[in-house]
Amino acid sequence: MNRFRRLSLAFAVAGVVGVAAPAAASALSRITISGATASYPMVSLLAQKYIKTHPKKVSFKITQGGAQIGINDVAAGRVSIGDVSRDPVAADPPGLVFYPVAKYGICVITNKANPLANLSSAQVSSIFTGKTVSWSAVPGATASGPIDVISRTSVAGVLTNFQTLFLEGKKVSTKAAEEPSEGLMRAKVEGDPQAIGFVSNYQSDKGTVNAVGYNGVACNHENVKNGTYAGTARFYEVTKGKATGAASAFIGWIEKSAAAAKIINTQWLTI
Amino acid sequence: MLERLRHPWSDNRAERTLGAVSLLVCALVVAMVVFVGIHAWPIFEHNGLSWLGSGGDLGRQLAAMQNTTQHPPPSAYHLRAWTLIYGTLLTTAGAVVLALAISIFSSIFIVELAPVRLRRIAIPVIRLLASVPSVIYGLIGILVLVPFVGNDLISTAQKESVQNVVELTGAGLSVTVVILTVMITPIMVALICEALVSVPNSWREGAVALGVNPVRAMLAVTLRAARPAIVAAAVLATARALGESIMISMVSGSRAFSPKPIDGLVFFFEPLRTLASGIVDYHEGIGAPALGSALYAWALLLLFSAFVLSIGGYLIKLPLRKYQVRG
Repeated sequence: MNRFRRLSLAFAVAGVVGVAAPAAASALSRITISGATASYPMVSLLAQKYIKTHPKKVSFKITQGGAQIGINDVAAGRVSIGDVSRDPVAADPPGLVFYPVAKYGICVITNKANPLANLSSAQVSSIFTGKTVSWSAVPGATASGPIDVISRTSVAGVLTNFQTLFLEGKKVSTKAAEEPSEGLMRAKVEGDPQAIGFVSNYQSDKGTVNAVGYNGVACNHENVKNGTYAGTARFYEVTKGKATGAASAFIGWIEKSAAAAKIINTQWLTI
Repeated sequence: MLERLRHPWSDNRAERTLGAVSLLVCALVVAMVVFVGIHAWPIFEHNGLSWLGSGGDLGRQLAAMQNTTQHPPPSAYHLRAWTLIYGTLLTTAGAVVLALAISIFSSIFIVELAPVRLRRIAIPVIRLLASVPSVIYGLIGILVLVPFVGNDLISTAQKESVQNVVELTGAGLSVTVVILTVMITPIMVALICEALVSVPNSWREGAVALGVNPVRAMLAVTLRAARPAIVAAAVLATARALGESIMISMVSGSRAFSPKPIDGLVFFFEPLRTLASGIVDYHEGIGAPALGSALYAWALLLLFSAFVLSIGGYLIKLPLRKYQVRG
């Protein structure tokens, strides 16, 4: 047997193994999910738990990219479930069904070196719409000089909710930098003592930024839970038409089971 | 099947197979341009070519595109994207000019002046640098350079001088151009070094023998002979700079703003957005018909500029062929 033949035999064996492995896995029904970066940590924890409680039934493929990606993918039939961090809007493709699964807080954040304790709704509105431009006009701020407002790109779900909940529907100033993800938003505020931005409470709980209170209520899990924190929005699982099959079972499990509720209540809140 | 492939192919068969493969590549390129063109068409239909011009705030226009229904009215397609084109030209031109100067001088040093041992280490290391993924440069930029520029280089007075127009957070023109330069210089150095090495030694020796001093010989003979390679390197580097997206998205300040030279020193700190980084920043919104069409229009413009670039590079090289060496 010459070298070439041995090589081609090796390739043939590798090919058979490669084909056989996915065939074995396809006995499980597969749930594919894509969408919001904000809800990704929650959904991946839920999926891990679901696999444990329903052994050998389902497998998951979860990717993140943004609320709008979830909407696009599920509408085009590329995934079975889309994760969305904002309420439905007019521009959404027709025929999507939104299942609310959890509530989360949106925190206004500043740099650690500027441990601002609280902002009123008028102050938040004035800062983010660009009327207040200097930290010296904000009582309680230790930073000085101009305020660096950091926002998200207009396709971000959290931005939509932030403008509805905190700015009464007004738009964030066009001067603001627009970050494409929650992670980059946090990195930007971490590195800039004069920055102010907003993220979901899961991101602000990591302690690298200062979460600012809103109207005298601190932005933390307890206050989101007991309903005193005003900046609370909802995560949705979205399907094309009514959920069916494995996706329906998974969404039903999130909505009803005690195990799912326990996970959601660690950082977020059940509906 | 495998057994048959092992026998030497007849000329006829090899010709047809290879021809088919190369035709397939051409067909793919054409299909891609047509696909992007079809998706970009609504923007041209509603704006003509005036979407290349300036006017209004681009961020607001894109938000309006995002917030319409699935069947947007013609008014939703309003787009004036000059800011992005300007940002792309500014960063690309800045980085390529800087990189050209740095790479020509460092190539001359490596090939002509450096001790052999240093040259043996330097060339492979530069090749390695040329293949570093751009997202790594972006990370270094956002974690190290942006905070440094924002907190240590930009003074409060400078921030206040423009605070009613734009925020200076550190991310902006200077950081973008510096990182872009670092990214494209290794490619250019690698190409130019190769060309300089392949200039026949006898040319140089001939010049020196005629009484020209070595530095003059280097500039007048060696560098002259390597000009086509320098142009090729510049074209390749420009293509990479034009298409760079993720790194620029991370360090450019992510705001559709046109830096204004009239602002003096502050100009270098002003944020911007390029065509490619705009596509990355807004790729989520591709499902909204108007915004999706805008993204495809930017992509079409990038494709078009790549064609212009390669044709332009070819035309520039034509008169330089006279003393060409194989690079």
